[in-house]
Amino acid sequence: MNNPSMAVIFALDALTGAVFLLTTLGVVANRQVLASLQLFIAQSLLLTCSAILLGIATNSLHLFAVAAITIATKTVLIPWVLRHTVSIEVYRTREIDRVLNIPSSLLIAAALVVLAYAVANPMLGAVHTPFAKINLPLGIAAMFLGIFTVVVRREAVPQLLGLLALENGVFFAGVAIVPDLPVIAELAAAVDVPVVALVVGMLTRRIHVRLGTTSVGRLIALRED
Amino acid sequence: MELAGVLFFPALACALSLSPLGGHGRAAPVTLAGTVIVFVLAVRIAIAAAHGTHVEAFGEWLTCDGLGALVLGLVALVAMTAALFSWSYIRIRAAHGDKRKEQNYYGLYNLFIMSLLAVPVLANVALMWVAVELTTLLSAFLVGFEDTPEALEAAWKYVVLTTVGAVLALLGFLILYWGSRIAGAAPFTWVGLVEAAPHMPPALLWPAFLLVLVGFGTKVGLVPMHTWLPDAHSQAPASICALLSGVETTTVLYVILRLLPVVGGAPTLDARPWFICFGLLSVCIATLLLVYVRDFKRMFAFSTVEHMGIILVAAGLGGAEAHLGAAYQITGHALAKSFCFFSAGSVAMTFGTQEIASVRGLVKFAPLSALALAGGAFAITGAPPFALFISEFLIFKAGIAGGQYLTIALLAFFVAVAFCAVLYHVNRMTFGAPHGHPTLAALPWSCKATLVVAAIPLLAIGIYVPVVLQNLLRAAAAAMGG
Amino acid sequence: MTARILYNLLQVIFVIAFAPLVEGVTTKLKENLQSKRGPSIFQPYRDLWKLFHKDEIVSDYTSWIFRAAPYVAFAAPIFVALLIPVLTRYPLFFAFMGDMLGGGFILALGGFFATLAAVDTGNPYGPMGASRTRMVGFLAEPVFIVVFLTVSFVAGSTIPYIVQLRWVTPIASFFEPSHILLMSAFLMLILAEDGRIPVDSPSGAFELAMIERSKSLEYSGRGAALMKWAGAMKFLVLICIFLNVLVTPWGLAAGMQPIEVLIAVPLVLLKILGFILVLVYIESSLAKLRLFRITEFLGAAFVISVVAMITRLSEI
Repeated sequence: MNNPSMAVIFALDALTGAVFLLTTLGVVANRQVLASLQLFIAQSLLLTCSAILLGIATNSLHLFAVAAITIATKTVLIPWVLRHTVSIEVYRTREIDRVLNIPSSLLIAAALVVLAYAVANPMLGAVHTPFAKINLPLGIAAMFLGIFTVVVRREAVPQLLGLLALENGVFFAGVAIVPDLPVIAELAAAVDVPVVALVVGMLTRRIHVRLGTTSVGRLIALRED
Repeated sequence: MELAGVLFFPALACALSLSPLGGHGRAAPVTLAGTVIVFVLAVRIAIAAAHGTHVEAFGEWLTCDGLGALVLGLVALVAMTAALFSWSYIRIRAAHGDKRKEQNYYGLYNLFIMSLLAVPVLANVALMWVAVELTTLLSAFLVGFEDTPEALEAAWKYVVLTTVGAVLALLGFLILYWGSRIAGAAPFTWVGLVEAAPHMPPALLWPAFLLVLVGFGTKVGLVPMHTWLPDAHSQAPASICALLSGVETTTVLYVILRLLPVVGGAPTLDARPWFICFGLLSVCIATLLLVYVRDFKRMFAFSTVEHMGIILVAAGLGGAEAHLGAAYQITGHALAKSFCFFSAGSVAMTFGTQEIASVRGLVKFAPLSALALAGGAFAITGAPPFALFISEFLIFKAGIAGGQYLTIALLAFFVAVAFCAVLYHVNRMTFGAPHGHPTLAALPWSCKATLVVAAIPLLAIGIYVPVVLQNLLRAAAAAMGG
Repeated sequence: MTARILYNLLQVIFVIAFAPLVEGVTTKLKENLQSKRGPSIFQPYRDLWKLFHKDEIVSDYTSWIFRAAPYVAFAAPIFVALLIPVLTRYPLFFAFMGDMLGGGFILALGGFFATLAAVDTGNPYGPMGASRTRMVGFLAEPVFIVVFLTVSFVAGSTIPYIVQLRWVTPIASFFEPSHILLMSAFLMLILAEDGRIPVDSPSGAFELAMIERSKSLEYSGRGAALMKWAGAMKFLVLICIFLNVLVTPWGLAAGMQPIEVLIAVPLVLLKILGFILVLVYIESSLAKLRLFRITEFLGAAFVISVVAMITRLSEI
């Protein structure tokens, strides 16, 4: 950290992390399906930025590979898959059906961010990995917020976007803590993500065709009485 | 090379099923043939592993030790019987004679089997995670195969919840890798992790363990993350239920059990209380739900949650005897639970319903299904002479020897309640007075054949455990660090 | 010492003199962006001139509060201008009279009097606007507090002059996540506090939809002029706090020479122009929120400020 250029990269990564968190909060709290999708794309771009910055800082080719894979899958492939599997009327939904109203979900989201820092702190105290200080708590926060989105949303596509935001969060933490994971594992994990989108998208389409709704949170035929 | 074959033949069978060669109903025999070959290979691997050989292929990319070979063998066996069951079941009940749909089923079926087989043989832990995630994604459409609103709902919950869990587990594995790099340049395999564990900072190892336990615990169906399991395991076609309940849960539980020696390697950490807590909670809640259940496929699904809990408790008790009991329980559960779902599927097919209250007097209308259902119920609840009786006995004995009286008392109590609950429901279905004359469908030949074939190993290992299997179980118990 | 007093007074004159201009530029740019020609940027000065030369009509049913309110509202931003850095980056004579919270209270006092005056009249729209203003105020208050506390925690001081230097020494701290988050939260606050879109429409003439503007509907002549001027000054003061304290101290006078301070005047105006461009862009691209959605908008601002505090507390 004595090196000035390193300090600038550190600061830029911190900035990326801050905006990353903002986009994740946006995925939790906004009302429109299309805006959620755009926020997810923005979030993926920020993940790419962080991977590139850390790639420069640690001279790791793996991270550039991660950046390339992220760009290809998350900003191009997944939006394409989602637009083609789910019919366009789903995206025109303005008001998203949700369990909690927006202010309460935002407050819970803030609490989750605090929790993420509390979870990450002991880990950061045990080892000295400079960039993990930024990426690990923010990644865990995005992970919590993603789970929260899945819980709180009732519409299919926003739930899926919550799931993908959660995955982005894990990768955001991952680029800082494991910059040298074998490329084959990275590749496999990255291929996995669009498959998730594809499977869930196709399932959404079938639910839409069969049931005439994509409000999966309202499906309660199966439960204990 | 057997290890590579285990992954190659399902892929080949998938390609053949989807190609024109699989048309005109030929996909079913092709798949069956593929699974028979895989089973033979798996048995060869298991025999080698039982002799203490560490089977390897492609450098160190594919490996298999005792525990892996046990899981591999069980997956291969159930895959074979489920393929046999599917032959006529899918054509009649699910695909309604739609040939294209049937081919798609077998294509996905083979891929699903491949991903299940990949979990115990892939050496790299990150790749293993990908295989686990693929089991979910590939089976999603198998769960929703019947295309009813309930099936689609179940498929949705299944995919979304288990994927959330899998991503949590991914963070856990990334943290494990972080820790192993700090500890030194160990390869990211189970063996490497066990070696690195004593040098890892406990502050990393512990959250990693919890993330994997909770994340993959979702897929295993541990309470309180079990909510999707009864839905998915009751709405899928019976052959898929047998795979999901019998071996998919076990395969993922295998990953959690692998962490036991890793965490055990760290001097200040103890994973065992967590295993026991999660296990007892699952057993308790599942037993209570078993009492009130109304759908007999759901009943067997809750029984799966209960058995996962028992295995977790057994693993948590520690010691070679308890771990041997856990390994034996895994074996017995996979055989008994798949058999239960075959018989439940047969009953559902005959009566056209899954409601317990609508099925009465089974023994009069369908004696074979009745015998299978009653036999399956006895086997799964741990009545002698079935394997689960011996394994549960082993676990209780090990627990009492280890001084864990409270745990064992609770476990024994819940197991007894579950025994009564399942037998109460099954008794009413089998011997109850029938209301009127239900319209019955004939049971096709492949279902009957499966009931006979699947009963053989179930009965056999309860009565006599061959030396090879004994050695394999001991090797598996040793891999749990016991 | 005399220089410091003089510069301090210069800041007040700056605020008083340029506030209508800033409002004029904002209106003009907004109209231009919407492909309209718009009024001259000096139109607010003409309006003020016109209003000061008109007779004032006061309802018989009002009390002294109604008459006093314009003066209080006019004085409040002037006091705040004494406390904050408008033109210089070093503390001036009155800088230590009050901190940022003090400034906030003084602005709130002006708003409070305007609200009382609105309730004082018999006009039904006044109390309606007043209650809405209070609603926005209640929601904005916690955000204000959290933003100020975080800022002062970072800088170890609540005096704005000391805070501003913290963000640029070293330059890397400009990019701190907490800084960026605080800036976004405060920007949302300015939009809410000054009645800008998406919270309120400053140019709307429909009484039922008004929040901020309906409070001064009953004023005429000099009272109306003072209220209008006070509103413009409050806006300028908020911009100065945002730009000079939270964003950057760039463009401010560093030395004591009169020439440096005079050069700072156009530089600060340039900075404000840049901010107005952003503001106009935001205002033109968003639609006004429904009244109960304002909760969500300010809730988001609150969460952002809390997150800023958290990232700060864990020392990133």
